[in-house]
Amino acid sequence: MESIIGFLISWLPIFAIYGILSISLNLEIGYTGMANFGKVAFYAIGAYLSAALTISVMLSLVGKNVPLYSIEAVQALSTEGTGALYTHPAALVGLFVLSLVLAFLVAGAVGYLITYPTLRVGPAFLGITVLAFGEMFRVFMRNYEPLGSTKGLFGLNNPFVWLGNSLLSQGLFALVALGLLLAVYVYAERFVNSPLGRTLRAIKDDEVAALCLGKHVPRVKATVFFIASGMAGVAGVLWTFYQGSVQPDTFVPILTFYVWAMVILGGMGNNLGALLGAAVFTLVDRALTFAAGMMGPSLIIPPNYLRWMIVGLVIVLVLMFRPEGIKPARPIKTPAWEAVKEEVGKDG
Amino acid sequence: MADPILEVKDVAKYFGGVKALDGVTLSVPRGGMIGLIGPNGSGKTTLFNVITGFYVPTRGEVWFEGERIDGLNPNEVYLKGIVRTFQIPRLFPSLTVLENVLLTPPNQIGERPLYAPIRSKWEKQERELARKAVRLLKRFGLGDYIHASVSELSAAHIKLLETIRGLMTDAKLYLLDEPAAGVAYDMAKEMFSFVRRLRDEEGLTFFIIEHRLEVLMEFVDYVYVLHNGKLLAEGKPDEVVQNKAVIEAYLGG
Amino acid sequence: MVGVSEILNTVQMGLAYMVIALPLTLSYRVTQVINFVHIIFITLGAYTVALLGLVGLTNVWIAMGAAFLLGGALAVLDNVAVFEPLWRRGSDVLIIMVASLGLWIFYKYLIYAVLDKLFIVLRTNTLSVLVHTEGFPSVSLGGITIDGYLIDTVVASVIVSLALYLILMRTRIGKAIRAIADNQVLAEISGIPRGRVLNFMWFLSGGIAAVGGVLWALFQTTVTPEIGDQIILQVFSIAVIGGLYSLTKTAIGAFIVSGTENIVIAVLHDAFGLPLSFRPFLVFLVLLVVILIWPPLGAGGGLPYRFRVRHRSRR
Ligand SMILES: Nc1ncnc2c1ncn2[C@@H]1O[C@H](COP(=O)(O)OP(=O)(O)OP(=O)(O)O)[C@@H](O)[C@H]1O
Ligand SMILES: [Mg+2]
Repeated sequence: MESIIGFLISWLPIFAIYGILSISLNLEIGYTGMANFGKVAFYAIGAYLSAALTISVMLSLVGKNVPLYSIEAVQALSTEGTGALYTHPAALVGLFVLSLVLAFLVAGAVGYLITYPTLRVGPAFLGITVLAFGEMFRVFMRNYEPLGSTKGLFGLNNPFVWLGNSLLSQGLFALVALGLLLAVYVYAERFVNSPLGRTLRAIKDDEVAALCLGKHVPRVKATVFFIASGMAGVAGVLWTFYQGSVQPDTFVPILTFYVWAMVILGGMGNNLGALLGAAVFTLVDRALTFAAGMMGPSLIIPPNYLRWMIVGLVIVLVLMFRPEGIKPARPIKTPAWEAVKEEVGKDG
Repeated sequence: MADPILEVKDVAKYFGGVKALDGVTLSVPRGGMIGLIGPNGSGKTTLFNVITGFYVPTRGEVWFEGERIDGLNPNEVYLKGIVRTFQIPRLFPSLTVLENVLLTPPNQIGERPLYAPIRSKWEKQERELARKAVRLLKRFGLGDYIHASVSELSAAHIKLLETIRGLMTDAKLYLLDEPAAGVAYDMAKEMFSFVRRLRDEEGLTFFIIEHRLEVLMEFVDYVYVLHNGKLLAEGKPDEVVQNKAVIEAYLGG
Repeated sequence: MVGVSEILNTVQMGLAYMVIALPLTLSYRVTQVINFVHIIFITLGAYTVALLGLVGLTNVWIAMGAAFLLGGALAVLDNVAVFEPLWRRGSDVLIIMVASLGLWIFYKYLIYAVLDKLFIVLRTNTLSVLVHTEGFPSVSLGGITIDGYLIDTVVASVIVSLALYLILMRTRIGKAIRAIADNQVLAEISGIPRGRVLNFMWFLSGGIAAVGGVLWALFQTTVTPEIGDQIILQVFSIAVIGGLYSLTKTAIGAFIVSGTENIVIAVLHDAFGLPLSFRPFLVFLVLLVVILIWPPLGAGGGLPYRFRVRHRSRR
C-alpha cells in the first residue's frame, strides 16, 4: 500500500506534466496540422519564469540580497524550519498560482509572436523556426549568469512543503497537478468539439482552401499556438515545483520529440489518445529505471539510453505500421448532428 | 455593360518571363452568366487567382461592387462575397459532406477562440446553420450523403457540392473553374441547369471557365476568349463560335 | 576586437557549415523532407576522423573518404528502410519528416551506447576525443600562422562544392535529380528510375554531410557525442536562409551565420558591451529577419497570404 502511494506521488505529477504537453502538441499537430518541433521552448519558459519569479520574491521577503543561484540563496530558501519556503507559506502558494497564470500568458504570447510571421511559410519552416528558437533559449540560458548558467536555479520545493509531512505535501501537489491536467483535458475537448474545431480540421486538410473560404488561417493558427504554448508553460511551472530546480540542459530538443512520440503512439487528433501516450511512456520510463536499479551495471544498454532509443523506434515503427496510433482521430462533435436528425425526420 | 458587379482593368500577371496574363480588361454584369474560354495555358485560372487574391497582379486593377479588391488576401475577398471553386476540387477529406457545408458561413460565433469551449454561446446558431445546410443538400439531391465522407462522392457530386456550399453565405459572385470537367455529358448539362436556376431564382452572378464548349455555349449569355494571356474575342456565344481568330486559336493551341 | 583570428574562424566555420548545410538543402529540395538524421551524419563524420586518429590513421583525407562512405551508406539505409516505404504508402511529407526525427533520436543514443562500451575497451573514461590528424602543414605568412586544418578545410570544401555542382548540372543523373525535385510523380511517369536516382541523391547527401562533420571536428579539435547537436540552430538557420531551395543562397547563408557568430558579436561586444552569451540570439535574429523579409514562399509550400495590403481605395 505504502509503496503504491509512494509510486503515485512521484508518478502522477510527471504524468500530469507530460499529459498537458502531449494534449497541447495534439492541438497543434493532431487538429491543426502545425508541426511544432520546439515545444520544449515554451515548457522551458514556464519553468524558468516560475523559478526566477518565486526565488527572487521569496528572497526579498526574507530580506536576502544575494544572486538567485548562490548557495546563500538556497540556504535562505530551503533550510528546514527556518527557510523562506517554510516561514512564508501563503506567499509560496500565491507565487505558485501566479506562476501558473503568468507562465500561461508569457509562453502563450511568445508562441504567438514567434509563429505568426512564420505561419504562412509552410510546415517545414514553422517546425525549424520553433526548433531553432528552443535551442537559442537553451544555449542562452547555459550562458546567462544571473539565472545560474549551466547549473541553473536550485532551492525550490513543492508549494506545500511547509506542511512538514512530505507525504502530505507531495500528495497534495500530485492532486493539484492531476487537477490541472483534468482542466486542460476538458478544455481541449470542448475547444475542438466546436465550429472552431471544424475549422482547425479544415486547415489541417488544406490550408489554402480554408483561406479561400474566408478563414483567417494565420490568425487561427497563431491562436492555437498561443493556447498550446501557454499550456506548455503551465507544464513547465509544474516541473519546477516538482523538481525543485531548473537546469538549461533539461530542455534539449529531444524532449520535444519525447512528447511527439506520445502523441503519435496515442493517436494524432485524439485527446484521450494523447493522454494514453503520455501514460505509456512515463510508465515505461519508470519500469526501465526500476529494472536498471535491480540489474545494476550488468544492463547492456544504460536505461537512459534505452529509453530514448525506444522513443525513437516507437516514432518510426508506429508511423510505418500503425500511423493512426492506438486511438484514431475522432470526428468533431457539435449539436449539428441532432439538428440534422430533426430536420431529416421532418419530411421523411 | 450595365451595372457591372466585377471589373477587371488591364490586368497583367507575369511569372518571371512567362506572361500568364498580359493586359486583360473585362467586366461581368450583375445577374449575368458569363463564360471564359481559351486553350490550355491561356491564363484563365490565373485570372481567377488574381481576382480571388491568390496573386497580386503585376499590373492593373480589379474592382468588385465599386471597391478595389486586387491585393487583398483570399480570405478578405471571400468575405466581400466572391466564392470560387477549383479546377481540381478542394474539399476537406477528413470532414463529412455536412461539415464541408457548415464550414462556409463566415464569422460563426463558435469559431471565436474565446467562445468555442462554451457551447451555450453558439449552440443555437450551429443548429440553425445545420438545418439550413440540410435543406440545401436535399434541394440539390445530396440528401443521402449528409454524413458521408467526401471521398465517397462521385466526381459530379463533388463539383456540385463545391458550388452550392457557397449558398450558405450571401455571396454574390461565383467563379467556377471547369465545373463540367470529368463529368458525364448528361450530368454536366444538369449541373449547368442548376446554375442557371440559381441565377434566375436567387439573382446570383456566375463567371464560368469551361473547356466543354458544347455544354457551356447553351447556357451562358456572353463569352470572353483568352489566348496567351490576352483577350482574343468576346461576344454572344453564337458570335464567338463563328469567330475566325477563336477557331484558329483552338485548332492551333 | 575583430582581429585575424575572428576572420580566420569565420572562414573555417563558414566552410564547415556550408559543407554540412548544402546537402540538407539538396535533400529537402528533392524530397520536401527535412532529414533530421543529418545531425547524425555530422557526428558520424566527426567520430570517424577522431577514432581513425586514435588507431593511428591520422591522415585527414583518408578520414574524409571513410566518412563519406559511412554517411552515404547510412542515408541510403534510411531511405530504403523508412522514407521510401512511407512515400510509397502516400504518407504526408510531414510524417516522413517526423519519422526522420525518430531515426535521429534512435541513432543518437545508439551512438552513445556504442561509445560507452568502446571507451571501456580503449581505457578512456570520457566520451570526448581529441582530433590528432595530419593534413596540410601549417603555414606562416608575415607573422600570421595559418593552421594546416584551415587549408584542409578550404581545399576539401572547394572540392566537395565543385563536385556537387558538376554532378547536378553536368551529368545525366544530376538532371534526373533535378527533374525529381520539380515533380516526383511526373518524373517517375516520364521514365526516370526514381528509386535509384533518389538512393544516389541520399548517398551524396549523407556522404557530404559526414565530410562536413570531419571539417567541423577539425575546427572544434575535440569530439563529443553532442558535436552534431551543438550546431542544430546554425545549420537549420542556414538552410532557412537558403530557402531550403537555393544551393547558392545556402552557401551564402553559411557565411552570414558564421560571420554573425564571430565578427558581428565581437563588434557589438566591443561597441555596446553586448555579452557574448547573446550569440545564439543573433543567429536566431538572422533567421527571423530572413523569414519576415524574404519569406521562402513556394519552396516549402505556404499560403498565398500577405501581411501588407498593397492598396485599398474606394471609388
Ligand atoms: N505559379 C505559377 N508559376 C509560374 N507559371 C505559372 C504559374 N501559374 C500559372 N503559370 C503559367 O501561366 C500560364 C497560364 O496558366 P493557367 O493555369 O492560368 O492556364 P489555364 O488557362 O487555366 O489553362 P488550363 O485550361 O490548362 O487550366 C501557363 O503557361 C502556366 O504555366
Ligand atoms: Mg485552368
